[in-house]
Amino acid sequence: MQNSPCTGFETPFGMSRRSALASLGGGLGSVALSQLMGSAEAAPHAPSFLSAAPKAKRVIYLFQAGGPSHMDLFDHKPKLREEQGKELPDSIRKGQRLTGMSGNQASLPLVGSPFEFAQHGKGGTWMCDQLPYTSKVADEITVVNSMYTEAINHGPGVTFMQSGSQLAGRPSIGSWMSYGLGSMNKNLPSFVVLVTKDKGGQPLVSRLWGSGFLPGKHDGVRFRADKDAVLYLNNPKGLDRKSRRKMLDRLEALHQHQLAKNGDDALETRIAQYEMGFRMQTSIPEVTDLTTESDATFELYGEGARKPGTFAANCLLARRLAEQGVQFIQLYHQGWDHHGGVPGGIKKQCKETDQPSAALITDLKQRGLLEDTLVVWGGEFGRTNYCQGKFNATNFGRDHHPRCFSIWMAGGGVKGGYTHGQTDDYGYNVVDGGVHVHDFHATMLHLLGIDHERLTYQYQGRHFRLTDVHGHVVKDILA
Amino acid sequence: MRFYISIFLIFTGGLSHGKEIDFNRDVRPIISDKCFKCHGPDATNQKSEFRIDTLEHATEDLGDYFGVVAGNLKKSETHWRIHSDDPTDIMPPPEAKMKLSPKEIAILDQWIEEGAKYADHWAFVPIPETIPVPELKSDEAKSPIDAFVQQRLAEEGFEPSKETTREKWLRRVTFDLTGLPPTVDELEAFLADQSPKAYEKIVDNLFSRDSYAERMTGEWLNVARYSDTYGFQVDRDRTVWPWRDWVIQSFKDNLPYDDFITWQLAGDLLPNPTRDQILATTFNRLHPQKVEGGSVPEEFRTEYVSDRLHTYGTAFLGLTMECCRCHDHKYDPTTAKDYYQLSAFFSNIDEAGLYSFFTPAVPTPTLWLPDENQSKKLALLEKDIATSENALGTIAESTTETFTTWAKTNPLVEVTQPVASFSFEPKEKSAFANSIKDGEPAKSSNKNTTVEGRIGKGVKLTGDDAITLPVGNFTRDDEFSISLWINTPDVKERAVVFSRSKAWTDAASRGYELLLEEGKLSAALIHFYPGNAMRVRAKEALPPGKWKHVSMTYDGSSKASGLKLYVDGDPIETEVVWDNLTREITGGGSDTIVIGQRMRDNGFKNGLVDEFKVFEHQLSPAEAAGIAGNSKTISPDIGFYRSTIEKEATATKAALTKHRQERSELVKKIPEIMVMQESGSSRQNYLLDRGLYSNRGEPVSPDTPHFLPPIPEDTPKDRLALAQWTVADNNPLTARVTVNRYWQMLFGNGLVSTTEDFGSQGHVPSHPALLDWLARDFTANGWNVQHLLKQMVLSATYRQESEVRSGELVTQDPTNTLLYRFPAPRLSAEMIRDNALAVSGLLADKTGGPSVKPYDIEVSFKPSKIGKGDDLYRRSLYTYWKQTAPAPLMTTLNASKRDVCRVRLEKTDTPLQGLVMLNSPQFVEAARHLATDLVTKHGDDENAIILEAFQRLTTRAPDETEHQILADLLTEQKAHFTSNLPAAKELIAAGNSPAPTEEQVADIAAATTLVTTLMNFDEGITKR
Repeated sequence: MQNSPCTGFETPFGMSRRSALASLGGGLGSVALSQLMGSAEAAPHAPSFLSAAPKAKRVIYLFQAGGPSHMDLFDHKPKLREEQGKELPDSIRKGQRLTGMSGNQASLPLVGSPFEFAQHGKGGTWMCDQLPYTSKVADEITVVNSMYTEAINHGPGVTFMQSGSQLAGRPSIGSWMSYGLGSMNKNLPSFVVLVTKDKGGQPLVSRLWGSGFLPGKHDGVRFRADKDAVLYLNNPKGLDRKSRRKMLDRLEALHQHQLAKNGDDALETRIAQYEMGFRMQTSIPEVTDLTTESDATFELYGEGARKPGTFAANCLLARRLAEQGVQFIQLYHQGWDHHGGVPGGIKKQCKETDQPSAALITDLKQRGLLEDTLVVWGGEFGRTNYCQGKFNATNFGRDHHPRCFSIWMAGGGVKGGYTHGQTDDYGYNVVDGGVHVHDFHATMLHLLGIDHERLTYQYQGRHFRLTDVHGHVVKDILA
Repeated sequence: MRFYISIFLIFTGGLSHGKEIDFNRDVRPIISDKCFKCHGPDATNQKSEFRIDTLEHATEDLGDYFGVVAGNLKKSETHWRIHSDDPTDIMPPPEAKMKLSPKEIAILDQWIEEGAKYADHWAFVPIPETIPVPELKSDEAKSPIDAFVQQRLAEEGFEPSKETTREKWLRRVTFDLTGLPPTVDELEAFLADQSPKAYEKIVDNLFSRDSYAERMTGEWLNVARYSDTYGFQVDRDRTVWPWRDWVIQSFKDNLPYDDFITWQLAGDLLPNPTRDQILATTFNRLHPQKVEGGSVPEEFRTEYVSDRLHTYGTAFLGLTMECCRCHDHKYDPTTAKDYYQLSAFFSNIDEAGLYSFFTPAVPTPTLWLPDENQSKKLALLEKDIATSENALGTIAESTTETFTTWAKTNPLVEVTQPVASFSFEPKEKSAFANSIKDGEPAKSSNKNTTVEGRIGKGVKLTGDDAITLPVGNFTRDDEFSISLWINTPDVKERAVVFSRSKAWTDAASRGYELLLEEGKLSAALIHFYPGNAMRVRAKEALPPGKWKHVSMTYDGSSKASGLKLYVDGDPIETEVVWDNLTREITGGGSDTIVIGQRMRDNGFKNGLVDEFKVFEHQLSPAEAAGIAGNSKTISPDIGFYRSTIEKEATATKAALTKHRQERSELVKKIPEIMVMQESGSSRQNYLLDRGLYSNRGEPVSPDTPHFLPPIPEDTPKDRLALAQWTVADNNPLTARVTVNRYWQMLFGNGLVSTTEDFGSQGHVPSHPALLDWLARDFTANGWNVQHLLKQMVLSATYRQESEVRSGELVTQDPTNTLLYRFPAPRLSAEMIRDNALAVSGLLADKTGGPSVKPYDIEVSFKPSKIGKGDDLYRRSLYTYWKQTAPAPLMTTLNASKRDVCRVRLEKTDTPLQGLVMLNSPQFVEAARHLATDLVTKHGDDENAIILEAFQRLTTRAPDETEHQILADLLTEQKAHFTSNLPAAKELIAAGNSPAPTEEQVADIAAATTLVTTLMNFDEGITKR
């Protein structure tokens, strides 16, 4: 009934009777901790999965859906240009599986990056010339060139990155964090999702920010670029805030009366939730209103930031949410699935993401937030060093590639100006410092002060973790 | 579980106070959770030689120590280890990140001292034939259920709560059995009925309603992971609601639950199955299905089979099968072998791992769902076709002589001309000339190069570049033939020589094709591969490095016997791989023949082709030989004579073709649904190492888990045997799992609160004897669900007040495990929405049919257009369920997401729920409808408005305080809206139904706020 963080405690953390009631059939810790953190009650003792000193208090995850091409962005591979047009050597492929899209191609010709690479910052971080802004903040970030995954298609790949399992049904990272750390802001959800508007590409699915088998309150809340930023946030037409306040006052009076009659503490929760809903009706429009930002800020993020729902606007909104104590801010930007048209496609994607991503780092830093905010940029896998479809040096495609890919992380306790891990000369296999998806999750939780082996939830008789039964903290990237 | 123990300890003053240890209740939960991972059933994957899961293992002589010595603490290593404070000795070790509490240590000690008695896991022990019912001591008891509950309460020093009001019981039972609230009239009738059978009459009446079947169906859809889309990423719509309507019908008919299970698992295997029995098996196909390009079909087929097994395990056996996919279970006796043996039952159907991206084909196997008219027409056409086929046979016999006569005067005839012919002489402007039609050449990339051919020049194919012909969009009713010279450079594992088909897996190979499979010619006509297709394959491989002439001929019969292959002019021996083509082979795009390449398939790399000819008739053997010999004339054979010369034969064939075409047109319109149908061939299944589809280990055959009673020896082990085993009298799990889930449906929690897990890590039952009694009573009464539910809702336990009692006892049982009161769970998402529709009179009175799109579908993550009229007001059961973006109103209110089988839902309050119930058009429109009704009826009689609103929303009258609060609300809102009439008009126009035309705009607006408030009031959303 309880989950392992609570092992040994009959009433963990001075849990109220209400919590005990609410926990029926779930993990006690599932309610206990969130409730503890959500309310301002003092903690009698810290839960066992928390370490003494978290480096990061919040995460902004700039997810680049589709699989950005590592060797066209961060992982510089001059050899591919030298051997352009030659077949992918069997000694490199080693018979590993390819997707059904190019796996049956009669020929797999190598193709080099059409972009120029240079080293940036004191750390000499390699980046391509399509990242002029990110290259200027190179010394704030760790580039990981040795990420690898097990999935070769988008659905399983994104699900794996976001929940630690390729299959549907597990809680997402943000839900785990909400479950583990509760909420720091009484007026906003602790896990907010922002999806770039009107982007095509491989479809996203709402369970990516779902709570799986965790209680539903740990679902990510998607903020839409719409007047109802959250579903049904606004009062219906004709009902003003004063009227609503009076309705809620009467509703509370009914509930208090009911509580006195039946003694069910669940009513206390219900009253509190209606109040929070009421506060959200103002706090969410406030936080999503970007018009109060200065011209200098819009200059920093790029003019796109003025248009709601763009990646730039979402980056800026992410900063505002971070300021308000939202702990997990998940952005999604689609469009990196370049089976064809790599050169043009990457140029376009970089134009949309490079400046705002870098601006977010700069902005967080100038506000003193970068040191305890972990920013992550990356997708679900890399792309093949060989060309998919017709070979053409100036306009070619690349297929999915799980054996290595690049992401970057900044702030929140990771090194700046550092490049982690190495792939072979063909950008095909990891040769040093491999970071598996589970390692990435373990490291992320570690930075938040959470022991990934101890943050568990019992479901179907098993103590589930974000990292399954794997994962090692990548110590090399810790500042 | 621990929680349960702690309660127990408090109640009894601790185990040390004389109560003997019960292994299943006290010890198993501890050692399962804390020890089994390293010292449990999964022996192969653990480092330690010590196992504590059975007595034999625990007490084994391990050389220099004994893990457990029964009755002797000091000699038991376990005792020392759990007491140790040395990090190298202590158990569990520090790296396990788990500790034993002092109480748990004390229990283990006491258990060893008392002789380390083991017992079989309670859930695997057969359900006793009879379970003695405790003596009824209280007058309150209404059923044996109460005897069990009250006995336990008395043991722990509790009194049951007193009986709740008739109002509250009626509200509870009406929601529980129909998902809807009682009406005010129903309440009044019930209050007036003083007969002793008043309660029972209500229950019987509720059972008779469609809304009962709908309510029960809703519960089952969560178990069955029902959705109206395929799921995964692309998530297209699929038509499976006819299965949902079958579920409704079966609850309406009160189909015995053992049949309900058997039909769903294996209805297709019952003798002479009815349409409904086959339709029921759609249950097994409701898992997510994949279409994403580039996916490996076998990976996902394996996934589907696993999902079927997981759903089966959770829904019927309460076993968590998932763990055993990769290794033996860490806690339960289930092994990986058990897993793959059990999953093998679900594997033997002709399915593809991917559904078709380019066509709307329903993934096979399928059941046709013709309407009555279509059935009749189809039967007539089949008859016509059979008649024509017979006539053709008779003619064939009678023409032998006339042919001989004719052949004497016609020793040589010209070969019938092809409709297109390409000899692949050097190209003009990247096109190959068509010697039949000048303006219609074949297009090709320059990468396919001109080489020496069999006759003049030919083409060498790259395997990645196509030669596209201008012809070839044949239907399955057409005769056609294709001939060509080919020269394969090597023995191809798989290569596409030519096809009329958009893609391989992405179109389920829709069309026709000639492949090389392991070097053998393989011809097929395909609707959806492999379940609706025909394929014949050569028995011998084509020799590599040689020019061979190949003809593929087809007679338009939709039968494999009509598909023939010739090599160098001679018919070759073939085997029939598939012969079940019943639907069209056109569609999907790419309507003409393509040589040498197909989307995401293996092309004919370095293959040579020459002299490609396409014919609009079935070549006779003489013609095939003539073409292979490149002669312009042939000695005609009887086949040629019949198909081209003999008038009666050609006329009858033309009539046959017409009938077949009519059938095809009709069949296209007949809907299909995915079902189970055993494959003609039986598939070899394997143990998959770490669960990976590609890591095949030892071969396995279908069988049930080794630790449960076996399937009788003389029964063939197929799905039907599995279904019968599942509901067999000696199956210890199914009945317990079922009654427990229905208990949960009514009481909010199961007697086993881990409804999904009856294994070692699940919770022990709070009332074991009651669980067994219910299970036995259920099966003894013919698995009668209504009988079971009736027992429960009429019991005193169900009729108790829900008030939380203050005092010490309550703090000892905060979770109400002992059932000293009715637990008052919150209403489900479906009930909350349906309640709003019902009380406002908006609820559409209609059962079954396609799913509908109410307001919130328009604002879901993947929005689509909402429906009109009734579609907005149907019960939530009918809300269109898209797996990747389920109806947001429903999920906000904690509806099951139905992505996997879930038998237990967490209901948690969030601020977003309030926003939905206060602001969404669905709720506001319902509120203003009820408000209009009230104002129309009661005018400005505020008291009457309040009274009726309260009654409709809570099934009782308000007390004085409540009345006053609401009167204040009404007064202040009326004042506000009277001075803000435009606002009032806006509010009462919410939703798509026409706004009220009444003049009392402010009154209706104010009453709307009153109703909205009550819709959010505790008793509007909780079963009190």
